[in-house]
Amino acid sequence: MTLLRLALRLQIVGLIATAGIGSISSLVNALGFAQIVGDSPTDRMVFAAQMETLGKQLIYLLPVPSHLDTLAGYLQWRAFGTLGLVYAFWALITATGAARGDEERGHVDMWLSAGVSRARYLAARVVGFSIAAAASLALVVILTFLAAQIAKEPIPLDWIAAEGLSLFALALASYGVGLAVAQLVSTRRGAMGVGGVVLVALYAVAASARVGEPLPLVRLSPFWLHDQNRPLLGGGLDVTATLAMLAVAAVLVVLAVIGFVQRDLGGAIVGSRSSTGHPATLPSRNPLLRSPVLAPLWQQRVWLIGWTIGITLLAVYVVSLAKTMVDTFMSESSVMRVYFERIGLVGYSSFIGIIWFSILSLILSIYVVAQVAAWSADDAEGRLETILSAPVSRTRIVLERLAVLLLGCALVLALASVATYAASTAQSIDIDAQRFGLGTVLILAVVFALGAVGHLVASWRPRVGVLALSAVAVWSYFIQQFAPLFDWPDAVKNTSLYALYGTPMTEVNWPGIATLVGIGIVGTMASLRAMQTRDVGA
Amino acid sequence: MTEAIVTTGLTKDYGSGRGIFGLDLTVNDGEVLGYLGPNGAGKTTTIRLLMGLIHPTRGSGRIFGRDVDKDAVAVKRRVGYCPGELPQFGGWRGTEIVAYVAGLRGDVDDAYVGTLAQRLDLDLGRKYREYSHGNKQKLALVLAFMARPRLLILDEPTSGLDPLHQQAFYALVRDARDGGATVFLSSHVLSEVEHVCDRVGIVRQGKLITVSTLDELVGMRSYRVEIDFADTVPTDRLRAVPGFEHMKVEDHRVTGMLRGNFEPLMAAVAGHRVKGFTSREPSLEEIFLTYYK
Repeated sequence: MTLLRLALRLQIVGLIATAGIGSISSLVNALGFAQIVGDSPTDRMVFAAQMETLGKQLIYLLPVPSHLDTLAGYLQWRAFGTLGLVYAFWALITATGAARGDEERGHVDMWLSAGVSRARYLAARVVGFSIAAAASLALVVILTFLAAQIAKEPIPLDWIAAEGLSLFALALASYGVGLAVAQLVSTRRGAMGVGGVVLVALYAVAASARVGEPLPLVRLSPFWLHDQNRPLLGGGLDVTATLAMLAVAAVLVVLAVIGFVQRDLGGAIVGSRSSTGHPATLPSRNPLLRSPVLAPLWQQRVWLIGWTIGITLLAVYVVSLAKTMVDTFMSESSVMRVYFERIGLVGYSSFIGIIWFSILSLILSIYVVAQVAAWSADDAEGRLETILSAPVSRTRIVLERLAVLLLGCALVLALASVATYAASTAQSIDIDAQRFGLGTVLILAVVFALGAVGHLVASWRPRVGVLALSAVAVWSYFIQQFAPLFDWPDAVKNTSLYALYGTPMTEVNWPGIATLVGIGIVGTMASLRAMQTRDVGA
Repeated sequence: MTEAIVTTGLTKDYGSGRGIFGLDLTVNDGEVLGYLGPNGAGKTTTIRLLMGLIHPTRGSGRIFGRDVDKDAVAVKRRVGYCPGELPQFGGWRGTEIVAYVAGLRGDVDDAYVGTLAQRLDLDLGRKYREYSHGNKQKLALVLAFMARPRLLILDEPTSGLDPLHQQAFYALVRDARDGGATVFLSSHVLSEVEHVCDRVGIVRQGKLITVSTLDELVGMRSYRVEIDFADTVPTDRLRAVPGFEHMKVEDHRVTGMLRGNFEPLMAAVAGHRVKGFTSREPSLEEIFLTYYK
């Protein structure tokens, strides 16, 4: 029971975060539905037809839309369409933490030396995650049910519960992927990387099968199996697909247990040695390692390259959708036209300016959250103490960290923006290069504000830093998305860091940018103060 | 004689009696001071205060005349530090870690790093996570010694080192002292500090109990003795042995603490049949109980 209690305790942050994302997404989409589609059956039919046309362009992001004239159909597509990915990546993070992270920290040695068998250790973690995922999804189900009631378009509870069950099975299968992959590599970071690639590949093959007949192997993808369940459309639960997901999870967990039993602690099933053969006794001659700011960037090079490639591919994909989306939404018959005009979307270039920069803000926020997690880890894992044992001031550490964050983001932004501009030009979308460049540079103000706030929280309470900053990012995103829809006042809109950034391709919101920079400066000053007064390694 | 470290009423109070309280300690320039105490006595807290990693609740500490809290950067230019808890550097190679920390310090001779690595038999080419505990400790020692600092602050520096490499470490400390450096090292093993220390400070439950020279330490050194007699125990003769204290007799077994010379004790048992005789160095806790209760 002690092991299970510990396993459950480790899931609390993930449970709260996923339940929060799922519930807020359901709530705002349910409340926004009536605003978007209007009340008359004609408006709803037009909306559904337009979105279903558009949805075919979005199959890599969302499932094929259906019954969009109903709240249930809309939530199935818009709210639950991407929630599978959220739960899958939570499962991956926590599985690699259980299978590798705790091993790196020496916790697994301790448990095994206390007489706990390897199989029992992993079983406790699987059960712990299962309980946490079930609790998180139960909250999402209940709040979705309540949101539909509030929106006056009730959805049967058993429909929503069936969707929750399908997501639960998907999460368990993804957890199995994480556990199994973690046996093949020797580090948590490696397991996260390989596991992430596997999950994205499984998602991509499932998404490609959304049109046309899937290949036989695609049917093993948990995402494809999850796609077969569309209970909010009244079709009930596909029992075979759900059982298949659970079977995939069971097989992967069993394989992971076998791998864990077979391998050495700290090693992989297939061993690897990093030694070059000749003992080295001199420090590395790489000048970047001895340079402030550049040394941490060099250490993050693989991570930075990964982000750059990912964001560049996403940019090209979003640009490829621009014409279809704008033509659909801005047509005379579109019920979305008013909404899009309200947010300033009037043409192809403004689509890039508004939609792409909005997505980019959110993605860079995830990058910032990851950096804040790394700062907290520096503290917990003793690296900060090592740095401070050199003649380095705490002020320098704070400023250097923020400089590394901004420089890293600038590098990613620069390459992604060149790709975006080139893709737009290739699509014959005329973009004002100067404004595009300005919009790109100004997004660093969002990064600066979020990074400074993140550093402050990480200095003050390292354990809650990631959660608090994620909450700020999610809040900012939803406020930015829904404030124009509900025509909320500026006072509400401006609580979003992304709203303060505005839409520089249309008009630069200089007061908003100044506010972001101000938040960044105040956050930095407060971080400096917090860093000076706190104890390190205590 | 100049002073390398001076603390005045230095206190870090974590509550519930944990921390270090009213520490008045002076470490002279060029000496090696061993800082002894059982686990939880306050050794690491003292060292973290000296390194400016944590802030004092009261009192102050100075290293080469500079305040350890307010002037920490200037202090650390002259200090090499080996932490008690080793950091995690994951997939970094030893060569990269040394280069990174050398970049932060800016005053490191690469050739001397090579010498240190050779003396400690450490391959810097391996990834940190592949190092054994002992090799991680060696790397921490390389990082502490590599700038040839004027003061070395080492928190349980031999933890995880095998006897061969402990000797290599003692030789490094002696070389550093011969080169004019001051060394402040913590330990919980009495015999260890005897190898290299000029003076020893003993700390217990957050308070400095005594600071003695090594000669004084030998005087206060004691052994736990157990004697099993085959027949009658010469109780009166044993009680008369100078330095034999805390004597207990159970059946034919006698236990006690002997401070000083063994000869009077051997004379006292002469003529009696002895089945077993053991003596061992007492734990620090036993010394504290004996001398400072």
